Amino acid sequence: MSTYILRRLMQSIIVVTGVSLLAFISLHLAGDPTYLYVSERASNEEIAAARIALGFDKPLPEQYLNYMGGLLRGDLGTSLRSRQPAAGMVLERLPATLELTIFALLLAVSLAIPIGILSATRRGTPLDSGIMLFAMFGQSIPSFWLGIMLILFVGLTLRWLPISGYVPVLPHLLNGDFSTAMNNLPDALRHLIMPGVTIATFSLSRNARLVRSAMLEVLNQDYVRTARAKGLSTRVVIFRHAFRNALIPVVTILGLEFGFLLSGVVVTETVFSWPGVGRLVFTAITQRDIPVVQAAVVIFSLMFVTLNLLVDLLYARLDPRIRIG
Amino acid sequence: MNKAVKRFLSLIGISMVVMLVPSAVSAQMPDDNTLVIAQSVDVGALDPALIGSRAEANIIGMIFGTLYSIDDDGSLLPYLAQSFTKSEDGSEWTFTLNEGLTCHDGEALTAEDVAYSFQRAADPANGFTGNTVGFVLPSIKYVDARADSELEVTIIMQGAQSESLRLGLLSEVYIHCKDYYESVSLAEAAENPVGSGAYRFVEWARDEYVRIERVDGFTLRDPQFQTIIWRVIPEASTRTAELIAGNVDIIANVPPDQIDAINTSGTAEVQAVAGTRRIYVGFQFSEDFADAPGYEALQKTEVRVALQYAVDVPTICTALLGTECERASSMVNPPNNNPNLEPYPYDPARAEELLDAAGYPRGADGVRFRTVLMGPRGRYLNDVAVVQAIGQYLTDVGVETEVDIRDWASDYVPLIRSKQVGPLFFLGTGGSTWSALYDMADLSSVTAGTNYTNWANPEWFALWDATQGVDAETERANVNAMLEIFYNDPPWLLLYFQPDFYGVSNRIEWQARRDEKVLPYYAKLAGQ
Repeated sequence: MSTYILRRLMQSIIVVTGVSLLAFISLHLAGDPTYLYVSERASNEEIAAARIALGFDKPLPEQYLNYMGGLLRGDLGTSLRSRQPAAGMVLERLPATLELTIFALLLAVSLAIPIGILSATRRGTPLDSGIMLFAMFGQSIPSFWLGIMLILFVGLTLRWLPISGYVPVLPHLLNGDFSTAMNNLPDALRHLIMPGVTIATFSLSRNARLVRSAMLEVLNQDYVRTARAKGLSTRVVIFRHAFRNALIPVVTILGLEFGFLLSGVVVTETVFSWPGVGRLVFTAITQRDIPVVQAAVVIFSLMFVTLNLLVDLLYARLDPRIRIG
Repeated sequence: MNKAVKRFLSLIGISMVVMLVPSAVSAQMPDDNTLVIAQSVDVGALDPALIGSRAEANIIGMIFGTLYSIDDDGSLLPYLAQSFTKSEDGSEWTFTLNEGLTCHDGEALTAEDVAYSFQRAADPANGFTGNTVGFVLPSIKYVDARADSELEVTIIMQGAQSESLRLGLLSEVYIHCKDYYESVSLAEAAENPVGSGAYRFVEWARDEYVRIERVDGFTLRDPQFQTIIWRVIPEASTRTAELIAGNVDIIANVPPDQIDAINTSGTAEVQAVAGTRRIYVGFQFSEDFADAPGYEALQKTEVRVALQYAVDVPTICTALLGTECERASSMVNPPNNNPNLEPYPYDPARAEELLDAAGYPRGADGVRFRTVLMGPRGRYLNDVAVVQAIGQYLTDVGVETEVDIRDWASDYVPLIRSKQVGPLFFLGTGGSTWSALYDMADLSSVTAGTNYTNWANPEWFALWDATQGVDAETERANVNAMLEIFYNDPPWLLLYFQPDFYGVSNRIEWQARRDEKVLPYYAKLAGQ
């Protein structure tokens, strides 16, 4: 097991390095960022001076090596716009993104599993057809459009929920301020619902279909038929015998789901004015604030590879046929 | 439906009710002492020497004072300074400060602090790249600043310049106190500003809002609202929704397709103002484009004048920008333009007549000559549609125009800055309400960084040089003469001043400015 984990960590380093290199290249391929940091009336001399001040005068390989050198020292660079440490800016906003992503994940999982089971056990009925139709729509609707529609109808027309904004809970919990976190919780949940639903809809729909498929496959197995023949109740057959095995592919997807949801927050955070990493990255890209984008890429990559490893370890725990190493 | 299903659905329903009651919406509406403004981007930093965007300038402009200030109509009025004098050669301007000024930490604001504000921005060791050091100081030809006494500070510049030009630019330098800014790092200064203006900084929640509060006892301004909150709402439709819901009082950059929704909401209205940003099509004169289609024809004055008649600018405004507009008659914003010049009318028959006379009749295929019009995507109001419309207007009079749209930030900006755009290119450039020469400075020399057309009319540049540092009357006469030159030998296909749309809640009374500044000193509750 230790050898396996060590091997995976080494692979992770290669992955993160490769991702940071790709990000670096694509950001610089988008053109000289100096122009975005000088007045539109700056002279050529002023532009040249700014290029030197921002470090863009050096050859790209040298810039990348300097960056990697800093990375090895734990320095992910300084924001060109705000002069703040780039890693700090990303980590400062990470709790907001985690709140949204965890809420969306819980929403997707908590609804997808019972809906998928329901659909599988009611196969062929109007309920099953209705659920699958909902799932199809859920996977087809663009999140941007869904978010705006929720704002329009739920936030503005019905005035049921706040249109935009964020009420922090996780940052207070991380600071040990539990009372403020608890006081904020009801308002935070109200602010979470619309963006959470926006992000969760695609995952919910896809996972419901996945759970349904997995359940149907398992329910057709001989051992399930045997369990029914023994006179066990439907509830016992489903939850004690079938569900655990149906969960195996679901766990695999859910581990990746978190990474998928993280990548999907960019649009949702922008629509709902959610001050998370997604919005930070979007703004940094448009402003060519390269250190911030790279810091976010590195941190997200690290999170993603760590999650992958945890999922693989959990996978082995669920399925005794799988051996790690 | 079995019990488990019913139980599950009941649980969902109960949870929804619990979440929805009580509604959180009313808690978001501002109280009578608070003004809420929404803008699309957050500030990058709150250091006055780092300002690089209008969003930052709007907030900084409330926290920090300046020596003079620019009023809504372009008047240059005393602010922290009460007056100024100039040396005989015009290179040293001595400002006399008002008495009793303080910074928000209680430190007395004296001439030494004013000099420090300039010196700090200009110090290369600080590595500032914002508007102050990147544009303002070079434009006024700043050399140094010197405190002559407690209340007298001299700004030393190279040579003489137009008084209105220099004074307007000096009004963009934000004054702050030396003791605080010497005691903090640049990173701290960027997050915790200590200002000299009518409002003090209270809080900055990154990507969420900036909160400022009125400084009681500040006598140079009389703002009505105790608290101003600048909320960051990147998505335009979300800003509109918040305005209509009554959670926000002012929004900028309302897209034309949302104007009706706001005006029919009953809770807010849209104010359309003709901004100061000059939108034009540039003709490229650089020989680098000698082989480009249409280059030779476009070098002829008669052709460039003919094309002025080919484009229906008022229709472009109403159809594509959502508002009426008057075509620009020059590159200078009213009221500083030449009043004797009338905008070119839309007259395609006249355009064809002039093109025939210029030696470019229609060929058998109906084409006089071909050319390319470059334009950006995502920078100016409905820019792609406007560029395509202009391309079609030119094609209609026989100048077959291929439209080449590029991404603004990654593609178009580097091309513009390196003057590699043409033979025709669509662009906007910021202007002012306070100085004709500011607007004309785009063409301050043949090699000026902003002379993207590489225009080299010798009469224009001779007059430009002769106009620096002259008295106001001579300046005005020279400006009018130069604008006539521009009109008759146009380096630009004149279009319009970009309209700006502001959504304003019916809860308040506030008038939008033309210069894109949102400085709500005079905003007040409706009916007060």
